[in-house]
Amino acid sequence: MTSSFWVLLRVDLERVFRSRIVLLWVVAAAFLGVLSTLNPETSLVSGTVTQGLSFFISIWSLVVVGLSASAVSEEKGEIADSVLSKSVKRHEYILSKFVSRIVLVFTVYAAISSSLVALALRMKVDNSDLYGLTFAVLIVGLALVALVNMGIMLSTILPNTVMAIVALLVVWYAMTLLFPLVDLDFLSPGSLMTRLPNIIQGVWNREEWNLVVSFGLLSAASLAISVAHFSNKDL
Amino acid sequence: MSAIETENLTKIFGNRLIAVNNLNLRVEEGSVYGLMGPNGAGKTTTVRLLLGLLRPSAGTVKVFGQHMTFNSANLRRRIGYLPTHPRFPPKMTPIKYLSFIGKLFGLDNEVSTPRLSKLLRAVDLLPAASREIGNFSTGMTTRLGIATALMNDPELLIMDEPTAGLDPAGRKTTLDLIKELGREKTILVSSHILSDVDRICSHAGVIDEGKLVFSGTMKDLKKIVGTTSIHLVLEGDIDAFCTKLGQIDGIVDFEKRGNHELQISFNPEAAIAATTAEIMVVISESNLEVIAFSTGATKVEDAFLKLLEEDESRGFLRAVEG
Repeated sequence: MTSSFWVLLRVDLERVFRSRIVLLWVVAAAFLGVLSTLNPETSLVSGTVTQGLSFFISIWSLVVVGLSASAVSEEKGEIADSVLSKSVKRHEYILSKFVSRIVLVFTVYAAISSSLVALALRMKVDNSDLYGLTFAVLIVGLALVALVNMGIMLSTILPNTVMAIVALLVVWYAMTLLFPLVDLDFLSPGSLMTRLPNIIQGVWNREEWNLVVSFGLLSAASLAISVAHFSNKDL
Repeated sequence: MSAIETENLTKIFGNRLIAVNNLNLRVEEGSVYGLMGPNGAGKTTTVRLLLGLLRPSAGTVKVFGQHMTFNSANLRRRIGYLPTHPRFPPKMTPIKYLSFIGKLFGLDNEVSTPRLSKLLRAVDLLPAASREIGNFSTGMTTRLGIATALMNDPELLIMDEPTAGLDPAGRKTTLDLIKELGREKTILVSSHILSDVDRICSHAGVIDEGKLVFSGTMKDLKKIVGTTSIHLVLEGDIDAFCTKLGQIDGIVDFEKRGNHELQISFNPEAAIAATTAEIMVVISESNLEVIAFSTGATKVEDAFLKLLEEDESRGFLRAVEG
């Protein structure tokens, strides 16, 4: 990757990490994480961690939708003028967007989820398996990466941010709520949430692998479509 | 050698709009080329094709002898671009933005930092150097756009309507700057302000409905009108003056515009200076006061309009002409 990619990535990371929405997200997610560890109804580590991680799929996915679906479309007016008329290749620009949003979401997620796990292990009855805990955190992270990638793809393809956000919300909540009803469990963040307690206790079988593969493929396909589309797009 | 060369360049948007139509443009190195045309003629589309921001539907674009594509990052390293109404990241300050642009062009800090401070000073943005760009006026944004276009010290400058939205002082400064830059760089200026083009360009092209209807030197463009003319604004009894004008040799025609303005056309064969001197004598004898005296701009305007009219009048013949 050439220096333009790293320059674009650094500038974009600086910008997103300094945004107020990210700060609010971190504060709110930390607050909710602490609340779920203090919840007396869940006495086991698996229950507490499941609840904490589920917030990322159900509530914080809204923030991720906003951050990813606006990545390209919100810069629409200035992309050509201030970036792509310079010494920059199309794929460098779009890849910098993917990497910056994935780094942002994963950093916030990793910070909150690891704190949640540490607190739960201290305060609750430990019924977890170390590998299971690690896999649970990673698989929810993978689902979030799939969401980020789909968001950037829609942001690249659709004409404006509002359309991209609406489309992503429809897709994500359809995947979460409707896919399990039509036997598409392996594509559903909803079914992932129901499997989390078992995963945390060390249960890992074919269904879990299916989720990993489908979220991985979804991420890769979104990335490929986005790069291919943006590389051939008139600006 | 040509800095820019297009061959049968065509751009059709969505099978509906032919924005650029079989355009064969050649801009020689070292020239200041004015691309003129009415609104919607295809100037901005041409500029974006030249920069590799749009993909041609047909034809080719070559800059410095190399094909321009979406990924011609190295070629764009040699080009500075000023868009019509430049849009920049609103939260950045000019210093940060120019430093970012310098890095995109691969400039070291030792080169980038002194250059950006020199440019900010040149475009009079030093006092606003730490303000967010989002709070800038149109004029300030355009000036920042000029600094951005010069950040990589380009060999070729492409400026799309560089004086759009500027006040008279800003306009004058910008035109002076372009004129100065034209001494050492190749410049393509797209504009519909004909007096601007007349003032700064050595060569010009006229584009209409996406087609280049003229390309040549400014001198060639003015020859199209066939006569030389002056424009006068006078205070006093202009009618009496008009009767005397008819007796001066070398005047082909004159047109009274309102109560104070006169457009006087000379025979190109006549001694212009002597004829102008005679007109001045008659003005003095008629006790008129000269409020304004100008040449050139209206001539380019006339040539421009004549070219557009001729292009229209050729009608279907345009399909078989080159």
